[in-house]
Parts: sequence; structure tokens; C-alpha cells
Amino acid sequence: MHTMQFILNGIIAGSMYSLVAVGFALIYQTGRFFHFAHGVVYATGAYLAYTLVISLDINPVASFFLAAALAGVVGVGIDRFVYKPFRKQKAPNLVFLIASFGIFIFIQNLLQLIYGAQILTMRTGSVKEGHHFLGAVITNIQILILVVSAALCLGLWLFVKRTKLGKAMRAVADDRIAASVVGINPERIILAAFAIGSALAGAAGILISLETNIKPTMGMNAILKGIIASIIGGIGSIPGAMFGGLFLGIAENLGIWKISAGWKDCIAFVILIVFLLFRPGGIMGVKSEGERL
Amino acid sequence: MEYILHILVITGIYIMLTLSLNLVVGYTGLAALGHAAFSCVGAYASSLLVLNYGLSPWIGLIVGACVAAILGALIGMPSLRLKGDYLALATFGLGVIVYSVAKNWVSVTRGPMGLPGIPGFSVFGIQLSQVWTYLLLVTVFVLLTYLVIHRVVSSPFGRILRGIREDEIAALAMGKNVNKHKVIVFVIGAFFAGIAGSLYAHYITFIDPSSFTVMESIAILLMVVFGGMGSLPGSFVGAAILVIFPELLRFLGMPSSVAAPLRQMIYGLLLIVLMLKRPQGILGKYRWK
Repeated sequence: MHTMQFILNGIIAGSMYSLVAVGFALIYQTGRFFHFAHGVVYATGAYLAYTLVISLDINPVASFFLAAALAGVVGVGIDRFVYKPFRKQKAPNLVFLIASFGIFIFIQNLLQLIYGAQILTMRTGSVKEGHHFLGAVITNIQILILVVSAALCLGLWLFVKRTKLGKAMRAVADDRIAASVVGINPERIILAAFAIGSALAGAAGILISLETNIKPTMGMNAILKGIIASIIGGIGSIPGAMFGGLFLGIAENLGIWKISAGWKDCIAFVILIVFLLFRPGGIMGVKSEGERL
Repeated sequence: MEYILHILVITGIYIMLTLSLNLVVGYTGLAALGHAAFSCVGAYASSLLVLNYGLSPWIGLIVGACVAAILGALIGMPSLRLKGDYLALATFGLGVIVYSVAKNWVSVTRGPMGLPGIPGFSVFGIQLSQVWTYLLLVTVFVLLTYLVIHRVVSSPFGRILRGIREDEIAALAMGKNVNKHKVIVFVIGAFFAGIAGSLYAHYITFIDPSSFTVMESIAILLMVVFGGMGSLPGSFVGAAILVIFPELLRFLGMPSSVAAPLRQMIYGLLLIVLMLKRPQGILGKYRWK
């Protein structure tokens, strides 16, 4: 009885991790560095949606697309103004990581300065009772979250597999120099990856803001779980990141049930460290560089 | 006056943390992001020994540092095989795990309520209670840390560390045991972080998990980077500026809801601009090729 409810909660939390993780994986694959500030793009998405829906009173569906697109713009801006100069200097990964922390801290506190440190909510009206489904209760909003995030993940996967731009992305992920030899501009591909990945992170932030409260620090948890999901799924693999997210969400929620909620982050990182040490290729068993995406 | 002395004591503790992290990150090139975890372990081990068993804080300090060092070895041995970003994540994870344990293992650490009433140090039977006595004590420890780390980095051992930073495969090809060196460096770093944590605990007389968050680790890394990776004088400057500067902002008279995020924004911006314009830090010479 309770098991199903916890698994369902895990799937819902996991679908958010998956959305953050697939975007992270896409950026990691093309740019080859850990874009830690991805988490703050997620938070930005939630706050943009809040501004559009609550403050400017725009239609929620239109706001969703607008906020996701704006999150994409934020991601592109980060790449243009911060990462691109580093790529030109051929900076080591530690520099990318440190700068990424810098961006994270900057934007998170900018959000706090604008909106305040307190939690905000987009929910209006009373809480409705959900549908009963296999012994668990699921609300309409949760169904919406699951459907939209599954559609976005699958859409991204098809995009990378089937379209010409997706093929170019895989080529850059495989070998940046070889890709540029055949006429692909890696800078444009990385830019496209940032636009798409950041829009997905923004979408995840918007979806979660329908379900829970938003606060400026929400990005930290999201990116940590996103990175863990993408590593346990097999770094850079899009289906891997999806499964990794779900796996992590379910494991965490079963942990909350069996142990206690305070140990949630601890469980996630223990899983990460076990994977890093014993199966660094992740569930999908990513081995060589070429197999990825 | 008391306030200025207090800030100087805190600066001294951060200088110890920065020096020890510089050995790991700046000299050996390991992306370690969990330094606060070691000072957390040192602080808690030391405080619990003193509070529960009535031991002298000096024994607490030594045991605390050793426990931190052992943890460093246990974590270092498996995870230092990981490269770059993955090592950063594993050490980051260590930070989160240690923080969670301190917060959730309520029966021992009292969780978020923290440990109050930690006794201070005494020297030759005289209890150190004035802030200036702690300033002397911390100064002695900062000098000790500096001397040890200076000795390590200017010895042949230190040359191997720089070799590992520049080109790990070349160091291996020269017949150097790269993993062993990494673990030793990690353990030394953890040991001094443990001492710093213990000093902090016995000076403030109260600790709770919120002093040892992951953001704290990032702040220490920022001090290393700011002063200059691979520069010991840089660590002094980096820690001093980044501890004292936010205190100065306090006098501008902004409401804290504006001042706190603004200060963090300046930190973030500083990190980005520094990496773009002067990645070697204020006093550093090392620059990637």
C-alpha cells in the first residue's frame, strides 16, 4: 500500500532529476565540462514562470513556453559570456568548474535579491483530492508533470537521434576536431546544446513550481541530483540520464520511507560514490568516448 | 577592539584551511571540494571527546586532527583514482555526507541544535579566556601549518606533487607512485583542516552543522583561487581579504536582506572575473599552458 505511494513519489521526483540530467548530459557531451550552474537555470525557470503567471498575469500555458525559452536564453548568455572565452584560452576543467560555481552563486543571490529569501508559491485555490491508482494517490498536476517531462525527455532523445542538428551534436560529442573538419561549427553546436539543455532545465523548474514552493536555493539540490542521475545512468547518455533520474528518485523516496527524510541527500551521494568506485560507466555502461549520447 | 581581534582569530583559522587546501588543489592539482568536511570531523571529534570524557582540549585537538586524517586516507584511497571533475564530485559528496551525518545523528551530535559549552584551551593550568590569547594561539598554529606545508612543497616530495599537477602520466613514467603521493597530500590537508576545525570549536565554544556546509568548502576553495593556486603567501592574502572584506560591508548600513545576497553576488562575480582575467590569483605564478 505505502510502497506504491513512495515509488510514485519517487517517480515524480525522479522525472525532475531526469529533465535536469538530460540537459546537463547534452551540455557535458558537447562542451566536455561540468556545467554546475545548470541548477541555477532551473531555479531561474521557476522564478520566470512565477513572474509571468502571478505578477504579469499571463496565460499559464503561454507562460510555460515563454519561461522555458527565456531559461534557454539565460543558458546561452552564460555560455557566450563566461564559457566561450575559457574555451578560447583552452582552460583546464577546474577553471570551468570554479567559474561555474561563480555563476551559480551570482545568479542564485540575484534571485534572492529580487524575490527575497522566503518561499513563494504558484498554487491557487484549495488542494483537490487526487485519483486513486494502484494503491497510490496521484493529483492532476502530478500527472501533468509526468506526461510533460516524459514527452520532453523522449523528444530530446528523438531529436538527438533523428535530426540533422542532433547528428551534428553527436559528431561534436564524439570528436570536436573531426566534426569541424567536415564543416560542423562546434561553437554553434555547443550554443545549441546550451539553448536546448537550459530550456529543459527551465521547464523542469516550471513544472516543479506547480507542485511545490519555490525558493532561490532550489537550484543546488536540482543540479546535484541531476549530476548524480547522469553519472549513475552513464555520463552523457540521454536514456541513461532518464533512467538514472528515475532510479535516484525512487531510491531516495524508499530511503525516506525506510530510514528518515533527513538522510535523503546522504543516500543520493552514497549511491553516487558506490557508482563512481564500482561502476563508473553507470547503468548503461558507457565505456568509450564514441559510444555516448 | 575585541571585535577586531575576533576577526583576526577567524582569519587565522581560515588561513590554516586555505594553506592546507592549497597543498591539495594548488600544488597537486586535485579538484577537492570537501575541505569543510574534514574540519567538521575535527571539530566534532575534539568537542565530543572533551564534553563526554572530560579530556583536555589539547588531546581533543590531536585526536580530532588524527580522525580527520584517517577519514582523509579512507576517502582518498578509493576516490583519488578518479580524475578531475569526478574527483570534485566525490569530494563534494563527502562534504554532503559528513554534513548530513552531523545533522542527523542526533544521539551523538545533537543534530541542528549543535554542541554548546565546549571548554576552551588552557596553557600551563591557565585557562585561555581572552580573545587576544586565542589570537596568539592561532598565530602559533598558523605559523606551524605554514612551516610544515612550506617544507612539504619545497622538498623533493613537493616537486613530485607539481609533477603530478603538470603531467600525471609523465610522473608515472618517471617511476613515481602517483596514487600514494596523492593520498599522502590528501591526508596532510585533512589533518590540518581537522586542527583548524578543533581550534574553531574550542574558540567559539559552540558548533553546529551549519558551520560546515558545502558552501563553506567552496568558500575555502575561493580563498585558495583568489590568493593564487600554488602560492603560500597567496593563501594568507586570499583568506585575509575574503574574511575581512565582508565584515567591512557590514558598516555600510544596508539591511541584511540586501547585504547578504549582495555580498554573495560579489563573491560569485569575483570568481568569474578572476578566472577570466587573472586565473593565477593575486600572488600566484602558476598558469596553465
